[in-house]
Amino acid sequence: MATHTEFHVHHDSPEKVGRRERLGVRLLIVADGSFLFAIIFSWFYLRNLNVNNAWLPKGVKTFSTATSWWVIVPFIIVFIAHRVSMRNRSLRVPAMALSTVLLIIGAWYQWHQVCNMPFVAQDANGRPFYNGAYASNWIIFAGTNMFHYIITAFITLGLFLRGLRGNLLDPVLEEWRQRVAGSWFTWVMIGGILSAFTTSFK
Amino acid sequence: MTTLSHKPASARPIPNPERSLITRLNMGSGTVVGILFAVITYYLLRHHFGSPWRVNHGMDMTNTHFVNVTILCTMFAWSFGFLVGIGALIGPFRWLIGKDLTAEEQLYLAGDGQGIKRYFKYCTDHKVVGIQYLVGVMTLLGVGGTMAMMIRTNLVTPGSHFVAPVVYNSLVGLHGITMIIAMIIVSTGPFGNYIMPIMIGAADMAFPRLNALSWWVLFTAIPVLCSAWFLGGIPTGWTAYAPLSDQAGPGMNAFLATIIIFAVSTAVAGMNITTTVVAMRAKGMKWNRVPIFVVGATISVALAIPAFPTFMVAMIQTGLDRTISTGFYDANVGGSGWLYANLFWIMGHPEVYVILIPGVAALMEIAPVFVRKPLFSYGAAIAGFAGIAGLSVLVWAHHMYMSGWMPSLNGPFMITTEFISVPTGLLFLVLVGTLWRGKPWMKMPMLSVYAFIWDFLIGGITGIYLSDVPADNYLHGSMFVTAHFHYTLMGAALTGAIGALAFWFPKMTGRMLNDRASYISFWLIQIGFNVLFLGMFMAGAAGQPRRVADYAQAFAHANLISTIGAYSVGLGMIVLLWAIIHSWRSGIIAPMNPWGSKTLEWTVPYPVPLVNFDEPPVVTSDPYNYGRSAK
Repeated sequence: MATHTEFHVHHDSPEKVGRRERLGVRLLIVADGSFLFAIIFSWFYLRNLNVNNAWLPKGVKTFSTATSWWVIVPFIIVFIAHRVSMRNRSLRVPAMALSTVLLIIGAWYQWHQVCNMPFVAQDANGRPFYNGAYASNWIIFAGTNMFHYIITAFITLGLFLRGLRGNLLDPVLEEWRQRVAGSWFTWVMIGGILSAFTTSFK
Repeated sequence: MTTLSHKPASARPIPNPERSLITRLNMGSGTVVGILFAVITYYLLRHHFGSPWRVNHGMDMTNTHFVNVTILCTMFAWSFGFLVGIGALIGPFRWLIGKDLTAEEQLYLAGDGQGIKRYFKYCTDHKVVGIQYLVGVMTLLGVGGTMAMMIRTNLVTPGSHFVAPVVYNSLVGLHGITMIIAMIIVSTGPFGNYIMPIMIGAADMAFPRLNALSWWVLFTAIPVLCSAWFLGGIPTGWTAYAPLSDQAGPGMNAFLATIIIFAVSTAVAGMNITTTVVAMRAKGMKWNRVPIFVVGATISVALAIPAFPTFMVAMIQTGLDRTISTGFYDANVGGSGWLYANLFWIMGHPEVYVILIPGVAALMEIAPVFVRKPLFSYGAAIAGFAGIAGLSVLVWAHHMYMSGWMPSLNGPFMITTEFISVPTGLLFLVLVGTLWRGKPWMKMPMLSVYAFIWDFLIGGITGIYLSDVPADNYLHGSMFVTAHFHYTLMGAALTGAIGALAFWFPKMTGRMLNDRASYISFWLIQIGFNVLFLGMFMAGAAGQPRRVADYAQAFAHANLISTIGAYSVGLGMIVLLWAIIHSWRSGIIAPMNPWGSKTLEWTVPYPVPLVNFDEPPVVTSDPYNYGRSAK
């Protein structure tokens, strides 16, 4: 492999680093998307198989379809807030503050649902169990939403605190990171919608 | 040729950021904090649920779930605690509060001037991570290989009872998963981290901190996996089929936790390697100038990114069944074992190629250097890798022909599986075409190329039998299957990795691998390997089932032959280990480019400088233009 040397550089430009980070985040989104695909597959597979008619055994209560959608509303608002803040820089700090608060509320609401699941029964020994495959699948969607809430809240809190400090080393790279965060916000919104859509099929 | 001294290249003073926590953290602090987290979690849960050991030994099945919760949480606490203790979370935390790591701190993290200490720290230098992976892989291979020897010793004669049947079951399962993990990282771990960034002319990986994270996350999984022995082992084999895995003892938790932790490591490493290759190639390195090992490793890890999360989901679902009484795989509450089988094999078959492709690609890197000819049909090699990767996601149900799942799909899956032999054939074509009429320089790396062609030919052709539904009716679940996949995974991927180690050993250690010892190990391993698994083909074709601790007298000769072969492999591996350790410590000092290769990694001295190249290279020709002028 023939080469010639050009100039002495040890640090890449912020644009290069930013593009690299965007690609990295998108690849992680692919991995997360594959995870979501697998749980959606599980949902529809067991629902259609309906082994022993136990997808939703008779008498088992479920959440209303609306709750699946309410719980992902913060993801949608975070996505919109981020888009707005990208156009109007002065709104960045309040948008991220609002996003963090909403995500915490969303996480609390998801946790509240988990604590009040109507489909947990008890066996003869008093041991709780998830009554039906619907119930089993629902809990893994709730867990995925919680994971998305925690990661997304970490990002929005970070962007908020960094925005407050305002003395960051590299404004160009910071701008890129705002954009890269946007890829994640878009994904968690899409993932949330897919989750809500899937869990609407009882 | 130039002979290099071992004097550190960097003359910079050791960076020592004042009052920074980073300087005080290492593997020791990680272990202490990890154990602390684990112990606290254990006692908190024990306080909440009662003693898991008392409950478990009393066989109080109503509380088995609490045992599983306690064990799983303790394992994850260890892993998380270790990462806290070694400083993996300092970067994210500093980002969160808006106090980014300073340049000095980043330089310190890169291990500049810290000598051997950096191998025990959260070091971001890709070369350090590569060596960490190499030692990790050798450790895993040693553990898995020892279990293999125990398995073969138990099978030396019918009714040998070297180990109890229940121990044998665990040996088979833990050998399987240990070796699978080792094989997944055997090429992309050490060489993908150490060599690949230099091959593409990059100063480092795209995300150095994540690079270190991928290794240390994996590191935390090793004691978790080993703990399975102390928790009663696993009875399921490495496939961990449900509902058996739902019902298995506490050792199964170690298996689940290992896979979940490993999947995180794999996703991070896959993302990092892919991004590095896509975004950090040297100027002038167009896609048709990228060394074939880089292409192979990238396709492999890019395939792993979407494949492994499905395995992770399967393990999380098993964990939920075992801990909070969900019923993903329990037919009483609407679950199905077929769900597990699908999720497992949607990952499981691509994973075979995640293992295989980097090994083959490394041998394609070696062959042109040692026959002094261009790589035959670079495009066919790319098409072969891409074709295999693409088709690998469409063949998973050939593992389930006999499970009764969707018999109407057996035909289509048979066709896609047999079709995958076409891109696989391209790989043979490229290698044979490269060797054709060449005058090979028969050094250790080149021997691996020939061994691969022999081994993988047998592995590939026997795979066609198994992809065929009528033949699989007879051969499924027999030793024939075991012999087949060992021919592909060990005969191809491990042979490729050993060739790669011999090839890049001078660049990674600054010394030549001992010739005589490596030749002895090569022949002991290759002859032993073929004796071992050809014997196993005989036993399997005659009907000996796999994963069974004892067998009928009719299979005695084949098993004796196999065991003799296994001991030869074991001996060869010990010789190879001796050769590696001895050469690393006191081998002949290597010249900068001992093989006369044309790829970029041979243009840098040993020790490789922190940023690899003093001046970024600009590539002006392809890497395989042996015997012709640069174009």
